[in-house]
Amino acid sequence: MKKFLMILIILVTITTVTTIVYMSVFGKETLRVLKVSTTTSLYVTGLLEKLAEEFRKEYPNVVIQFIAVGTGRALEIASKGDVDMVFVHAPSLEHKYINRGTLVDGHIIAYNYFVIVGPKDDPAGIKGLNNPVKALRRIYNAGVSGMTLFISRGDNSGTHIRELALWRKAGLNPIGQKWYIESGTGMSKTLMIANERKAYTLSDIGTYLKLKGEGILGRLEVLVDKGEGLINIYSAYIVNPEKYKVNYELAKLFLEFVLSRKGQKIINEYGRKLFGRPLFYSAYGKENELKELWNTLLEH
Amino acid sequence: MYTEIYGIALRSLLISSTATLLALVWSIPFTAKLISIRHRSKDIIIGIFNTLIGLPTVLVGLVLYLLFSYSGPLGFLELLYTPYTIIIGESILITPLVISLLYEVFSRAYNEYWELALTLGADKLQAYKLIIREVISDIFVVSLISFSRAIGELGVALIVGGNIKGYTRVFTTAIALEIEKGEFETAIILGLLLFIVVLSVILTARIIKRRV
Repeated sequence: MKKFLMILIILVTITTVTTIVYMSVFGKETLRVLKVSTTTSLYVTGLLEKLAEEFRKEYPNVVIQFIAVGTGRALEIASKGDVDMVFVHAPSLEHKYINRGTLVDGHIIAYNYFVIVGPKDDPAGIKGLNNPVKALRRIYNAGVSGMTLFISRGDNSGTHIRELALWRKAGLNPIGQKWYIESGTGMSKTLMIANERKAYTLSDIGTYLKLKGEGILGRLEVLVDKGEGLINIYSAYIVNPEKYKVNYELAKLFLEFVLSRKGQKIINEYGRKLFGRPLFYSAYGKENELKELWNTLLEH
Repeated sequence: MYTEIYGIALRSLLISSTATLLALVWSIPFTAKLISIRHRSKDIIIGIFNTLIGLPTVLVGLVLYLLFSYSGPLGFLELLYTPYTIIIGESILITPLVISLLYEVFSRAYNEYWELALTLGADKLQAYKLIIREVISDIFVVSLISFSRAIGELGVALIVGGNIKGYTRVFTTAIALEIEKGEFETAIILGLLLFIVVLSVILTARIIKRRV
């Protein structure tokens, strides 16, 4: 019994000491920390980690901490003052937070496209259409007649907001119908559900290609990737330093790096080798054109 | 990749064991006090803790998030998205379990030894010593069981930890992310590691229980 007591005391001491040591090593902010909330697509594809890695080569004493959530939550977190910076892709939502004074220094950093993906046998017959609104109308009709399903993110993310805007544009309201399933999860899980249930969904091309590359979306393919309303614009903002305690200088430094020729080149080339095509396109030199498109997306 | 998995494992173990120790710190005196109450309210109190064992992890996470957010009442502490909030959250989460289990242990020991020791002529201090000696291994078992609940939870770690790489990423949040990335192999490795940890903890608890 005494022996056991000794062992116990030793164990507890070891745990405590290691914890203290560990926490003092990792917990002490000897490094400068930049907190960033971001849409999942930029993180899950690995792009942001890559940018941070390159950034740290120039500024080794900076640590960038990413909190990957949907655009809706990323902005909500920012409006509570819990991060220094955001990366998001829902212009109409961003606009609200800019007006509320949550965000400053907005810049478009990249773009790509949304795609409508669905089962290979394509029961709604949308393959090759160059109009997403028309495609959604066909999916709607096929859904109503019980031939197919549509999986919606249902989580106030950038992709979800765009999907709803496209339905509105089509003059249809599928919410509440049997064939319209709100998954309430991130893009990856929504794609996996669509794959399992042989359903249609709207996805950003980056996440789709990443998962396709992992070989787990065997039943899905891209059916519509052209047409108005599919451009997907990613922007970065700094959280307003006049309203919150924000690491403004550091955020500015990282933003400038992302917008620099080097940062933009990383974005443009990311995943090109691995997936055969780029996941994102740089905004470099196309700022005005993209800004105009960004403005048209506010009307939704 | 392996150094990262090693870091995740170490971090998980440290965060959850600290949370368990913390929960024990307030649960042991509380339960000891509770045992000595000779009133019906004792049953009600322990009944409440029994019920709270099923406290949803996401609810604890959400409440802590609102408390520790910069705009919340404890925002000035700047603890959100740090390992410390995960420790606090997990310790709160497992407290009902710790108290419920300790209550069983303590009341058994109390009924068996307290009056006996006193009638045999021991003074109160000696009686306390006796009881402590009797229950110490059981306390260890209780902490192992509670630890396995803490290390396996996802809600708190994800909401107040934020799953930050190299800082607040633990077993469960890492598994969730790897699934999100579609990298199932890493998810399975992490899942198996977590399972091995929990399994060996529970086995250790059983062995100790049998030996005593």
